[in-house]
Amino acid sequence: MNYVLFSRPKHDITMEYLFYYSKELVKLTEDSGLKAINLEKEGANKKTIIERIIKQKPNLIIFNGHGTAKTICGHKNEVIISGDENSEVLKDAITYSLSCSSASKLGPEAVSNGALAFIGYKFDFAIGRDPDSEASPRRDKIARFFIEPSNILVSNLIQGKNAKYSVFIAKEKMRENIDYLSTTKDFPDAIHYAPYLYGNHAGLVIRGNEEASI
Amino acid sequence: MTEENEYKEIEKEIVLERLRQVPPTFKISLGSAEGKFMNRDDLIEEVKKESSIGEEIINIQLAYLRAFKKGAFS
Repeated sequence: MNYVLFSRPKHDITMEYLFYYSKELVKLTEDSGLKAINLEKEGANKKTIIERIIKQKPNLIIFNGHGTAKTICGHKNEVIISGDENSEVLKDAITYSLSCSSASKLGPEAVSNGALAFIGYKFDFAIGRDPDSEASPRRDKIARFFIEPSNILVSNLIQGKNAKYSVFIAKEKMRENIDYLSTTKDFPDAIHYAPYLYGNHAGLVIRGNEEASI
Repeated sequence: MTEENEYKEIEKEIVLERLRQVPPTFKISLGSAEGKFMNRDDLIEEVKKESSIGEEIINIQLAYLRAFKKGAFS
């Protein structure tokens, strides 16, 4: 049985958006005949996550969270993975880190400690928000331009596509969305969001084996 | 002021001018451990005080402009 572990904190508004959008990925995992280890809200803590990784050796690990160049965080910004401490727990797995900057230093360190592949962002990950949505992810017509490419990436990984293809498809979707935001007259604020989505596009990288798949 | 610093000041002014065109309703989450969405005035403040997020905003805006000029997008 292939396992996919999700870390899905929900302690602030940005995490609420990632939490909402990743719900469909947990479902897709189960629908694809894989076992989802869904660690959400308070469950996205260091003790639980590390124990489950060591015990069940997930093939794919998905982190939502805040991050830095050397860390990925979970519930209430507890550091879960640190390049200085425990990146070896990602050994033999593909990791996707939807967090700021963690692919810049933590990613290469995890790979040098045996991670199959580490996909993430070498710069800050941006999410735009629709001011009319009243911070409801479901009603937000801007946030989806930022988060849907990430979901496409993870969906492809879950369905057995390799890291290189999954990132390629995600970047294609980002480009499509950047084109739209840069040119549409559908809503006047659109063009102001485009540079930040371009930042996500430029920052998305694979460390390790680009051919890796589950 | 060295030539390099002068160049950086010009880049900063270009970005600040772009940010001044942003509607006040604009919201973006970018590199904040508190998970807050920043508005136009927050972005301008970060760039003015040359914080790490301010530097990132400058880099993002300039990279986008360069890509746009090269015809990377429609």
